[in-house]
Amino acid sequence: MMLARVADSLYWLGRYMERAEHLSRLSSVMLNATLDQTDAGAQAVWIALSAVGKTEIGAVAPFEAARSLVLDRSDHNSVVSSLARARENARQVRDQITTETWERLNLLYLKVTDEGAGREFADGSANFLHDVISDVHLFKGAADATMSHGESWRFMMVGMYLERAQLVSSLLEVCFAEGPGREINDHIALVSLLRMACALEPYLRVYTAEIEPRHILEFLVFDEDFPRSIRFVTSRIEEHLAVLARHTEANGRTGPERLAGRLKARLQFADLDELQAQGASALLTTVVNECSRIHEAIYETFVAYPLEMRLPA
Amino acid sequence: MDTGVAVRIKDIDDTPSLPMTGAAYLPGVAYDEMIAKGGDVRAHYAALQSRISTLGAGELADRQRMLERSFLLQGITFTVYGADSATERIIPTDLFPRILPAKEWAKIEAGLTQRLQALNMFLADIYGEQQILMDGVVPRELVLGAPSYRREMQNVYVPHKAYANVCGSDLIRGQDGEFAVLEDNLRVPSGVSYMLANRDASKRTFPGAYREAGVRPVERYPDLLLATLKSMSADWRSNPQVVVLTPGVYNSAYYEHAYLARLMGVPLVEGRDLVVHDNMVYMRTTTGLRRVDVIYRRVDDDFIDPLAFRRDSSLGAAGLFNAYRAGNVVMCNAPGTGVADDKAVYAFVPDIIRYYLGEDAILPNIETFLCREPAQLSHVLANLDKLVVKAVGASGGYGMLIGPHASAKERAEFADALKADPANYIAQPTIQLSTAPCLVDGRIEPRHVDLRPFILSGEKTVVTPGALTRVALKRGSLVVNSSQGGGSKDTWVLAEEAPSNGAGGLG
Repeated sequence: MMLARVADSLYWLGRYMERAEHLSRLSSVMLNATLDQTDAGAQAVWIALSAVGKTEIGAVAPFEAARSLVLDRSDHNSVVSSLARARENARQVRDQITTETWERLNLLYLKVTDEGAGREFADGSANFLHDVISDVHLFKGAADATMSHGESWRFMMVGMYLERAQLVSSLLEVCFAEGPGREINDHIALVSLLRMACALEPYLRVYTAEIEPRHILEFLVFDEDFPRSIRFVTSRIEEHLAVLARHTEANGRTGPERLAGRLKARLQFADLDELQAQGASALLTTVVNECSRIHEAIYETFVAYPLEMRLPA
Repeated sequence: MDTGVAVRIKDIDDTPSLPMTGAAYLPGVAYDEMIAKGGDVRAHYAALQSRISTLGAGELADRQRMLERSFLLQGITFTVYGADSATERIIPTDLFPRILPAKEWAKIEAGLTQRLQALNMFLADIYGEQQILMDGVVPRELVLGAPSYRREMQNVYVPHKAYANVCGSDLIRGQDGEFAVLEDNLRVPSGVSYMLANRDASKRTFPGAYREAGVRPVERYPDLLLATLKSMSADWRSNPQVVVLTPGVYNSAYYEHAYLARLMGVPLVEGRDLVVHDNMVYMRTTTGLRRVDVIYRRVDDDFIDPLAFRRDSSLGAAGLFNAYRAGNVVMCNAPGTGVADDKAVYAFVPDIIRYYLGEDAILPNIETFLCREPAQLSHVLANLDKLVVKAVGASGGYGMLIGPHASAKERAEFADALKADPANYIAQPTIQLSTAPCLVDGRIEPRHVDLRPFILSGEKTVVTPGALTRVALKRGSLVVNSSQGGGSKDTWVLAEEAPSNGAGGLG
């Protein structure tokens, strides 16, 4: 049992932290790829900016693009805005998260909002982003190691995995959707893509250094164990929602749990040939749409339910 | 083996260094907490003073930084909104603890218990039979005409007759060294989180001196508060659901609300989380509606229920007060307790204590002139340059004139206001608050302090052996309110005898 408003804040805390991590990684990989003046660098920039829907800032230098992705407070989808919102949510549920978890987030927030942050980013963006990403990892680790794995933690996890499902799907859509987009075959660009999904090393262990678009797609969609594959992520969403649904008074299976179960099954029993026959974008679009529906169903079931249904007789 | 820890503590507390040079501590005319009249260090300050005297200015500055950092890390901050960004500041905190010996504390404890007992009886009386008004001990119009008097509370059942469950009284020490009560706070007193956070910090900054001194712990406050709140619920509710009601994250005391909820392990709710149905209060949870039994509300009377009090309030819940009247939920503190800490009623507290308990007040009041009385008004007007004049309805250091520090023009303006609405003002002599050593710009200097202990009252009354010491950081200033540039420091209440736990040598 927990307050509906609190569940809402924890859910968004999870989402914003995941978003901050993903955006930092995209920026970092993008900047790294553009150090060499090659076509692969330009492709990496295009992938990163398309994945966050910011192709319009592609005209400026990659450094400026990354800087605004990370530090622009007026942009609601920057790293600093995500962290500020994560912290604002955490502050509202300060009684629900452990001090260890809060301190990690608070420190990170103070770091990115510090007056010197802009200069620090300019002096060494790679170091700066590396530190931000590892601070997000510390936050996640502290949450995992110190919070009870009960309702609060699960709402945070659901938020985190839903966000991840949508972010990874968008990234894959940019690279693998059919149509007028560019086909990405360049080895270095493909490595950048794997890095953006934080998947390079796990990929190499499965497929060795043969980097093939087909394998990347298979790995990031269907791998059972990789924590950023869509299959893995949807399976976690289903797992957490199933436990959360057990407590509700609503009879039978609840909306979000059912939706998540269906999505999980779909990914569990699909295979790559089928995916390629039908076109990757069909499946990826389904994932994005189903995630939005799960998000709405969570609200209807746990947060903004109609009072009439729940009042005592 | 515990040696690693011991070595670390030693590193922090015992690094050899040059003593502070050229920084003699010179208290002024006021009573000083550390140095007696003759210039000797008071016995209960000896350990701390010798510790401080071995520390160099650099080390003190380091410790001060460490202290401030720990507050920032914990998020004990308030937000300052600037032109284009919001920055977070900590409440100024001084690293030297203020120390009170056991004997002085015993008197404070007895005095506060007596006072709160009498005030609760007074509240039960005026919201019931009103015997004290009939007997003419307190003027009827003074009580019934006070804005903080809530007619809606008449004849409401309050368990144990405990109206003010959480009380934070402001005490000051005059030039004679005796404590007196300056103000009772019976509405929604705050500051207890600073008491706890300051303690946490001073254990880290002066671990050796802390251990040697034998300080009484304050850490039990949250569970004592929970026990007090639970004792207020109806007997037949076997496992009462307690919640803390906060105005929300933008309130300046939000940190404290969240802190107490977390340490008590109860939900922190906002008005929008509550639903009143059939005179029962529920909170909206992820698994449906859940009944609420006790609300520790940190929202002012005016805002708790738009149906009963201010209509434009969205901080409370509609119907809450009716549920309270019906006995289905308990609010702590009860609405309407403010009438007993009214600045004009204050003048009668010694009489109130004598009336209900047949005892003299253990802790005296400050002499108070009620400007509503024509004779006292003319005395006040004639002596404006010596008195502190306060508006009855205001708090937080606003609406106040400190005669000796005011200009002739300010005094003239205040005199006009006084004549226009005398009943709204009281006056008190200017008291030289006692001073305690504080670190200001790298030097140890005396600053005026007050003392806010916290008293809990439900089935029984408990005084937490500690307090928030508020500091007026400006040299010579007598205003300690945090809204007026005040800071705070930890307060050590010593046990009867310092324990000899053999931990000597760590200093």
